[in-house]
Amino acid sequence: MNTMVSDVEIKGATKQFGGNIVLDGIDLEVRQGELLTLLGPSGCGKSTTLNLIAGFLEADQGDVFIKGKKVTKVPPYKRDLGMVFQTYSLFPHMTVYENLNFGLKLRKIPKAEQKKKIDRVLALVKLSGLEHRYPRELSGGQRQRVAIARALVVEPELLLLDEPLSNLDAKLRHELRLEIKRLQKEIGVTTIFVTHDQEEALSLSDRVVVMNAGKIEQISTPTSIYKHPNTEFVFQFIGKSNSFEGVVADIGQQKVSVQAGEEMIAVDVANIIGEDKNLAIGDEVKLYIRPENIHISSTKETSTSLELHPAKITQMNYLGTSWEIDVSIIGKSVQVLTNAYDSSWQYGSEVFVGWSPSDLMLIKKQVQR
Amino acid sequence: MEPVRSHADQETSPKITTEPPKKQKKMKKRRSWVPGLLLLVPILLFLFGFFVVPMLYILYLSFISTENLSGADAVYSLQNYITLFTDSYYLNSLWITVKISIYSVIVALLLGYPIALTMAKSSARVRAIITLLIASPLLVSIVVRNFGWYLLLLPNGTINSFLLNIGIINKPLNLLFSELGVVIGLSNAYLPFMVLAIVTSLYNIDPSLEKASAILGASPMRSFFSITLPLSLPGIISGSVLVFSLSMSAYVTPALMGGANVPVMPVVVYDQINNLLHWTFGSALSYVLLATTLLSVFIFTRVFEKSKFKEVFR
Repeated sequence: MNTMVSDVEIKGATKQFGGNIVLDGIDLEVRQGELLTLLGPSGCGKSTTLNLIAGFLEADQGDVFIKGKKVTKVPPYKRDLGMVFQTYSLFPHMTVYENLNFGLKLRKIPKAEQKKKIDRVLALVKLSGLEHRYPRELSGGQRQRVAIARALVVEPELLLLDEPLSNLDAKLRHELRLEIKRLQKEIGVTTIFVTHDQEEALSLSDRVVVMNAGKIEQISTPTSIYKHPNTEFVFQFIGKSNSFEGVVADIGQQKVSVQAGEEMIAVDVANIIGEDKNLAIGDEVKLYIRPENIHISSTKETSTSLELHPAKITQMNYLGTSWEIDVSIIGKSVQVLTNAYDSSWQYGSEVFVGWSPSDLMLIKKQVQR
Repeated sequence: MEPVRSHADQETSPKITTEPPKKQKKMKKRRSWVPGLLLLVPILLFLFGFFVVPMLYILYLSFISTENLSGADAVYSLQNYITLFTDSYYLNSLWITVKISIYSVIVALLLGYPIALTMAKSSARVRAIITLLIASPLLVSIVVRNFGWYLLLLPNGTINSFLLNIGIINKPLNLLFSELGVVIGLSNAYLPFMVLAIVTSLYNIDPSLEKASAILGASPMRSFFSITLPLSLPGIISGSVLVFSLSMSAYVTPALMGGANVPVMPVVVYDQINNLLHWTFGSALSYVLLATTLLSVFIFTRVFEKSKFKEVFR
C-alpha cells in the first residue's frame, strides 16, 4: 500500500514498566528521508518509542526493523545511529574535535579523512574554529550544535533527537529549530524527533505522530493534524480549542444540527470524528472549534454566509498580531482569535459570533458504562 | 544556567567531595561573613592549641642535637636530619613505608573500584545496603580487627591450613609479620575511604554520556575506558590520596601485622620517643615522614592535573 521505502518499522510493540503499560501495541513506519515527530504529553510513550529504536530498551512484544533488518535484540552500539539528547551529553573531558572524532575512531576512519569529515560537519553547524574548546567553554546553544554535529559526523542510518531543544531559551530554541530543519533537508537523513512542544512539531515535521497513553492517536502531516484531527485528544492537544456540549436534533445529508442551549448549531457530516461515527437523534455530542475560526462582528449583517449567534465580550487581550477576545455564549466562555477588531468594543459589549459548519468538529460522547 | 549535572559537580576540587561542605559554602555566600567566622572561633582555638602549637614544638625539638631539651645548654643544629639521611636503617624504613602505602593504594583501588561501580549503578536501596556493609568495618576497633586477621593469616591460621590441605602449597606462606600482611591489613582497613571517594565521583557522571557513547558505536567496555574511567579520576585521586596518607601514618596495623620485620616510620618514631626517649631525633623523623607524604601527594595530584585529562578536574 505504501510505495515509499520505510527506514524504520515498529510492529506491535508493547512495553511495561512495573505493571504500567507504557506502550500499548505501537505500529509505526518512518519513511526514507523524512523528519517525523513523536508528539505527546509526558508519559505518552514517545521517549520509550525512541529508546526502542535506539536500542536502549527492548520491547516486551513486537519487533523493530531498521532499513529492513530486524534489530529488536541488537544492542545500541551495533545499530549505527546518531542521537542527540536533551542534556547535550557531550563528553566533558574531550574537546569539540575529540567529541566529534569519538564515533569516527570507533568506525576506524583514516586520520586524514577524520579531519575532513569533522571540518565539513562543523561548517554545517556553523562552529568552525571552535574545535579545541571544551564543552565547558561553550554556550548552551553551541553545546547542542556540537551534539548535533557529533551525531551527524558518523553519517548515521538514522538521526534520533530526544527533546533536544527543551534546555534552551525561547529565542535559541526557535533558531536551532530552523537550523535542524535546514540541516535535515540538506543532508536528507531520516530523522525522528521527540518533543512535547506542539509548535516545534508542527513547524519542523514532514509528518507528526501524536501519541497518548501508550497509543498512537494520529499520524499525519502537520496541516492535517491541525485541520483534520482524527480524535478528540488530538483536537484538544494541538492548538487551542473551544467546546460546546449539545444534543443531536436533526441529521441531514450534508449537515448535522445540534441543539446547544438555545442555539442550533450545524456541523458538516464530514467533520464527525472519533471511533463511533453513527449518530442518532437525541445523542449527546461535543462540538469543538478553534479560536481563529470564530468570526466576530458588531452587527448581524456583515457576514451573512455564517450562522451568527449573539454573545457578550468578557475579556480582551492584545497579542500584537491579533486580539484574543473571550465572549460568553450559550452560558459558556469562548475564546476568539481575530484581526477584525472594532475599537468600540469593550467589556460587556454585545457582539455576534459565527462560524462555518465546516470548521466545527463533532464527537459523540462516550456512554458511561 | 547549568542544567548539566555532571558539570556543576566536577568543578569541585579533587579532594573528597561530600554534600555538606557544598551546602555550607552556599549559606556563607548568602549571609554576612562575620557571624560565620565567629562560629569558627572555637575550632580555630582548639586546632591552634592542640595541633599548631605541638607541631611547632616538635619542629623546634627536631633541631636540637643534645639530649638535654631544656634551657641554655641546648645545641641547635641539623644533626638529627643528617643522621637520618645517612643511616640506611632510617632510609630503608622510609622506603618501606612509602612502598607499603603505594601497594595499599593499588589494592584498595582494584578492590574498591568495582564496588563503587556497582553502587553507582544500583537502586537507592541497594546502594544504602552496600554503603552500610562497606562502612561497617569502621565500627570495629582496629586492634580487634587486627587480631581477627591474625587468626586468618597465622602460619597455622585458616588461610594457610586451607591452602596446605588442598595441596596448593607445601609450606605455610609468610602472610603475617611481612610486608604482605601489612598491605592486606591497611588496604582492608582503608577500603571504605577509597570506595566512598570513587562512588561520589561516579554519581556525578551524567548517565546519558554512556548512552551517547553507546549510540556512537562504543561497546560497554570501550565506554567504560573512554568515558566512565576518566571522568571518575577525581574520585580515584582523592581516594588514593586518602588511603596513601592514612597508610603512611598508620601505626597499629603495621605494628601488629608486620612487627619487627616491617619497621615503618610511625613504628620507628614511636620506638625512638617512647622506648629510647630520643625526643629530638623522633621529632626529626616525624617531620621527614610528614614532608614525604605531602610531597608525594602533591606530585601525584599534580601529575594528573597536568595530564591530558586535566579538563576532568575543572
